[in-house]
Parts: sequence; C-alpha cells; structure tokens
Amino acid sequence: MGKIVVTGMGVISAIGNNVTENRHALIEGKSGISTLEMFPSKFVGSLPVGEIKISDNTFIKNLQVKEQGISRTTLLALHAFNEAVADSNLSGKQISSFDTAFITASTVGGMCHTDMMYNDAKIDTAGSPFISSYEYAATSLYLQKRFSLQGHVNTINTACSSSANAIMYGAKLIKSGRANRVIVGGVDSLAKFTINGFNALHILSAKPCTPFDEERTGLNLGEAAAFIVLEKEEDATHKKNYATLSGYSNANDSYHASTLSNEANGPYFAMKAALEAANLLPSQINYVNAHGTSTENNDLIESIAMLKLFENAPLFSSTKANTGHTLGAAAAVEAVYCILNLYHQELYGALRFYNPIATTKLAPIQAYTKIPLSHVMSNSFGFGGNCSSLIFSKI
Amino acid sequence: METIELKAQLKKQIVEFLNLLEVKPEDIKDDEPLFGEGLGLDSIDSIELIVLLNREYGIVIEDPKEGRKVLVDINTMVDYIEKNRTK
Amino acid sequence: MFYIHSSSCIWAQQFLFDDVATNLQEPVEKKMYAVEPSYSNIPPAILRRMGKAVRLTVGAAIPLVENNEKPNGIIIGTTNAGKDDCVKFLNQILEYNEGMLTPMNFVQSTPNAPAAQIGLLTKNYGYNITHSQLGLSFEYAILDADMMLEENPTHNYILGAVDELSEYNFIFQEKLGTYKNENTTLAQLYNSNTKGCIAGEGAAIFYVNKNKIGATAKLVGIDTLHTEDENILQEKFILFLNTNKINSNDIDLFLSGENGDNRLDKFYNIITDNISNNSTTARYKHLSGDFPTATSIALWLASNIVHTQVLPSILINKDCKKSVYKNILIYNNYNGLQHSFMLVSVVG
Repeated sequence: MGKIVVTGMGVISAIGNNVTENRHALIEGKSGISTLEMFPSKFVGSLPVGEIKISDNTFIKNLQVKEQGISRTTLLALHAFNEAVADSNLSGKQISSFDTAFITASTVGGMCHTDMMYNDAKIDTAGSPFISSYEYAATSLYLQKRFSLQGHVNTINTACSSSANAIMYGAKLIKSGRANRVIVGGVDSLAKFTINGFNALHILSAKPCTPFDEERTGLNLGEAAAFIVLEKEEDATHKKNYATLSGYSNANDSYHASTLSNEANGPYFAMKAALEAANLLPSQINYVNAHGTSTENNDLIESIAMLKLFENAPLFSSTKANTGHTLGAAAAVEAVYCILNLYHQELYGALRFYNPIATTKLAPIQAYTKIPLSHVMSNSFGFGGNCSSLIFSKI
Repeated sequence: METIELKAQLKKQIVEFLNLLEVKPEDIKDDEPLFGEGLGLDSIDSIELIVLLNREYGIVIEDPKEGRKVLVDINTMVDYIEKNRTK
Repeated sequence: MFYIHSSSCIWAQQFLFDDVATNLQEPVEKKMYAVEPSYSNIPPAILRRMGKAVRLTVGAAIPLVENNEKPNGIIIGTTNAGKDDCVKFLNQILEYNEGMLTPMNFVQSTPNAPAAQIGLLTKNYGYNITHSQLGLSFEYAILDADMMLEENPTHNYILGAVDELSEYNFIFQEKLGTYKNENTTLAQLYNSNTKGCIAGEGAAIFYVNKNKIGATAKLVGIDTLHTEDENILQEKFILFLNTNKINSNDIDLFLSGENGDNRLDKFYNIITDNISNNSTTARYKHLSGDFPTATSIALWLASNIVHTQVLPSILINKDCKKSVYKNILIYNNYNGLQHSFMLVSVVG
C-alpha cells in the first residue's frame, strides 16, 4: 500500500492553545514553564511546571460540555481533537464512520482530580460526579459518545511513550485495512498524583529544566493534549498533506521499572527498528526530537544511544524545556512539532542549554534555523522500559 | 534505647517496609551491605529507606548523596539514627 | 487470524479439562478472588515488589515463556492493573500532606507494569505494549497481535490480559452500580433477575503465532463495537459472521459473557436470536466473576474446549448434544456499551 500522510493536527500545551500558537512560541523560544497555580497543592507558587493557565470552567463553557464530572484530561483532549479534525476538514459523518478510528493515550486519566478520587475511594462517601472519570479509557468513551464514533476506539498506556504507541496503532489499523483514517494522539493533565509520584522518585527539578545540560537537575511536569489525523496518501490527494509517517517502532529496555540501562538497549533498539521500518540509513535522519526529560539518567542514556546508532549525531533537541514533560501526551505533542519542522523546513532552538554532558559531549541545536529537512525522528521512553521512536518525512 | 535494641528494631522495620519476603530480620548481619551483593537492594529501595528514617525517626535527608553514606549497612544506619533522631 | 499454541490462566477456579470440575469456589460477599499459586518460579526479591495484577500476569506468563521459543513481543490488555497501588499512593499523598512519600506504590501504579515485568524477567527487548480500553482492553490487545502477525508472519507473541480485584476498585465499581445489591451463589447468579454482577479477577496468557503445526486452537476473527443501540449491534454481528464466512448454523457453541445483570439481557438476546437453535450455549462468569478483561477467561476456556473437545458441564446453559465443537462464538458486553465478538475454531 501507499504512504500514510498527516492531514490534520491539533495541540494545546503550556506554550499555546493551538498549532499556530505553539509554532510561534517555538520560533520565539518561549518557555511555558511557570509555577504551579491551577489546583490546591503544597507545591503551588513554588514548583516549576508546564501548566495551561485556563480553568476547567472556561474549557467547559468554550467546549459546550453539558455533562457533569468531565475531567480536565478529557477537556484538554476534546479541545485538541476539535482542532485536529477541523484542520483535516473531516465531516461529522467521516468522524463517526465505521472506517475512522480514534486511538488515544493517557497515564493520568481522571486522576488529575486527585482529592476527589481520594474521597471516592472511601467506603462511606457517596460517589462524586467524577467517579467514572478515573479510568484511562474515560476520555475515549466521552469522545466516542459525543461524536458517535463507530470505528475502533482504544486507549494505550505505556507510561511516557503512550501516545507514540497510539500513533503506531492507528497507522497499523490503516496499513492492515481496518481503518481508512485515524485520529491518534494523547493527553495528560497535571495532577497532584503525578507531581508527588515523580517527587517521591527525586526526579523533579526545583528549577526550570535544562535538557542535555551537564548540570541538569531533573524534569518539570507539564500538561497537554495533541492529536493528528492520518490517512492513506491516495485518499488525501485533494487536501493538505503535512508530512508522511514513514517509520515507527516499539522496543523494551528490559532493565528496570524506572531507569534506563547503561547500555541504552531500549532506546537504541527503538531508534534502529524505526529506521529499518522506514527503510532509511541513520545518516538520512536530519533531526531528532529527543525524549530529553532532563533527568540525570534519561539524557545521558539517550545520548549514549544516539552515539551508538549515528556515526555523526544528527541535530537534536528536547522541546520538554518549552512544554515540560507531558507524559502520555508527550509523543503526540512532539510529533506535531516534528511535522511543523518538516512542513516549514525549520528547527527551533533548545532552551536553557549551557554545557554538554562531559562524557558524551552532545549539544542540542540552540538557535532557530531554516534548514532543508527530509526525515526527522521523535523519541519517547517510558517507565517499564517502554521505548518508542517515530519517523516523519517530508512530502 | 540501647544500640542492640535499636538494631533489632531497625531490621524489623526494614523487612516490613521493603516487604522482604523470605528474609528474617535476625538474619541480617550488622555489617552486611544493604545494596549490591548483600541484601541486593536498589535505587528505589534507597529512597524507601530514606522515607523510613523520616517516618520512624524524624530524620530528614534531602541529598541522595548523603543518603548513600548513611545507607551502607545496619551499623552505619544505626550510628546515624543515634546521632540525628528527633523522635 | 492466528493460532494459540499454549495458554495459562490464574482465576477464581482450579479445574482441568480432563476431569470434571470439583471444589468450586463460591462468591463471598459478591467477590470472587483468584486462587493464587505459590509463585515458586518468581524470585522472592522481585516478587516482593509486585502488585497483585503483576503477580497474576507474570505467574501465568512464565510457564509459557519457559516452554516456548523466545517471543518477539508482549501484548497485554488491562483496565485496573495497579489501581490498588494507585489508591495506596493517593492515600500517602493526602495522609502525609504531600510530604516524603515512598515511590514504590507510584512505580507499581502504572498499568503497563505487568507487560513491562514480563519483558524484564524474560530479558525481552521486543514489542511491549499495554491496552487499556475498559471492557475492550483484551480485545484491542488481540487485534494488536493479529496486526503484528499479519506484518510479521514468522513472529511469536505473548498475548494476554489481567485485572485485579482490590478493596478499592470494588468500592469504585460498587458506587457506580456495577455489582448486585444482594449476595448470590454460583448456582443462583443467572436466575436472580436483578441488576448488577459479581466482582472477579484473573489473568489469562496465550502464546500465539501463525504456525498451524502443534497449535491447540485458531482465533478466526475478532471485532469490537461501542454502542448502546441494539440495532447497530445486530447489524455489526451479522457483518461479523459474514466477514468470517461462517453460517450461524455452524456455530457449535455460543460462549456467552452473561454476568447475571438483567440490564444486559437485551444485548445477549440479539445474539441468541441470530444464531441457530441447535447451538449449545455456555456461560462462565458464575465461575470467574466479572471484570473488564473477563473475555480472556472466555478465550482460555474456548481454546481448551476446541483442543480437548471437553465442555465442562458446569459451563453448560443449553445442551444441544454436539458431537464435536468445531466453532465457538464468544460474545461479551461490558456496561451495555462495549461489545466484542470472537470466533475460535479447531485447528483444521
């Protein structure tokens, strides 16, 4: 079969409420890292996060959500979903058709309403309106109902690489003839749950994060939603084609629940297999949007993997310095950025990079650059050793 | 509390806190390394032990590097607890 | 389409297909817990950190991994793996006021832990994924395995599902009205004519590939649907039969996902109305309880029935005295919204 092309995109993150705003923020080198303020927590006013400064009530009003107990996670997803299907010019009939699939990803689900969930877990309380929203699948079920989706509707959870696998799954549905178009991506909102989880692991930075810097001190969490529309090239000749999805892969590091192996097996195998799937040589990759969380472990191991795979490391950077680490949404957000790289033939400068890691000496691209790009790769690695890489190519 | 009692109590707390199946508290030797060879604990366990010291003895260790010096074996932990406990 | 070569299941019962079920476990207070083995094949240093869902999955998967060629990947469906650790961590956050917390509950709370742990214990660097679509989590894992095998016909995969029953997820589901108000027994479940089901848990793991030789069962087809409309269900069911080129007369056994909840009867009736009166019908949720990935138990039962040609009498609802079980239809409904069909056949 022919190529799979991207025909629509939607994103909301700490650096913008739509694709255009995100692109301009990237060009201008805007950081979306601020201190936490949108929900009550000990960390309000002190912890740096990539927070979207729009209240749930504003989303509920703007998105015309009538139902009770719709989580922030679902609101963010609906916002980005609307932009993606409008951008791809999908009709209501196409969206709900048997041959349209919707594959999303989340690691937080409705657990962003952490205090509510705590109360709902007690035996002697009445259930809150959020009681059915905590499932990872809750977002997909709301969108299924709202848009009467009749095709495949699925949710993937491979921790921080979740939405890369949602994109892969959608591509496989098209390749195997089980769908003609797919809306794929992921979402996560900031939560007391994840903030305290990453804090307990001592990998949250008290300062805005500095991916790939020698003195990096950990990650900043963020929130976002992003979806892209994939179609067969032959079905999309009449509309805008942003890029092709030319390769993807999923590999396991098989080392530890929350850290990557010194050998960088998972990251290396994921990148290598994505190249093989795309039928490309390492030297043909012009840019890597790295996982680059800014933790001591990730950035070192990812650098080692890149040095192992590429004879000369390609240009690279981590946009998590702009958005924070948006967990289940991260790969989808970064897929949108890679597609923008290709469509506009431009790269965005890395923020807050000072000195390379002494042992690997890799420095990310630091200034906005207009440059011919044919193939770009996006990496996402998650807890449990779940590593995935995607490759997008110029039309 | 006598050092010997504190050692016995700490061993029991470690076994319970880390859910060390098939390890009896009295089988842990005072100078047996907690990490690597000995008990075979890892980085997540070291964080768990820092929390144990906080909850049981009111000790706050902010810097994981300091934690590594304390969490060598039962002797080093007990020594640190005796000097720094607030409860 | 693919073949099942071996399978393993940890659930509320312990019975073999060469003897008739004895010592059946009854539900207690609307709960049916899995009968867990001693896990002698999991190193204690690793077992100590496993939440229940991880234990069930790894316990079921290890024999399959040990007795077969190294799989090319691990594909798991689960809805509530890690939910217990999730709530434990939540409790820590609130009780210690976001202070110093132990990270282990957080690390174990992620639903990809079962698949990841199989990968870790068996040094598997291959494809590793977790699907979490509530009552279709296992179905989307199956579809994934199906697509992976279409693309890579020489590959082998570990495919399975797990859900755990903990105090906390029982509370959530109880508040959602999932369970019966009254206690029930194994024999009474389907006659209650009341709303709600009983809670269960379990893990079923399969070793699958495209190789017919040595296989025990064939998964001919699978399809899924989200709808509350019976007419759409009927349309899709007929389409499923046509797509898989099976005449409704050729369904020897209908393995139904009925769970004693009278609100779902109308959906199951659509299926029985559209298959032959001569099909034997069987049920299993009185033995397993219900949970989002209970269809993994159904697939495990069906693959054993076609392999051994033994239909344990405890499963039978309507016996049409079939001399052979060649084609088994599995239909399941979760929450009146999520539907799945599977067709399992003898290895021809």
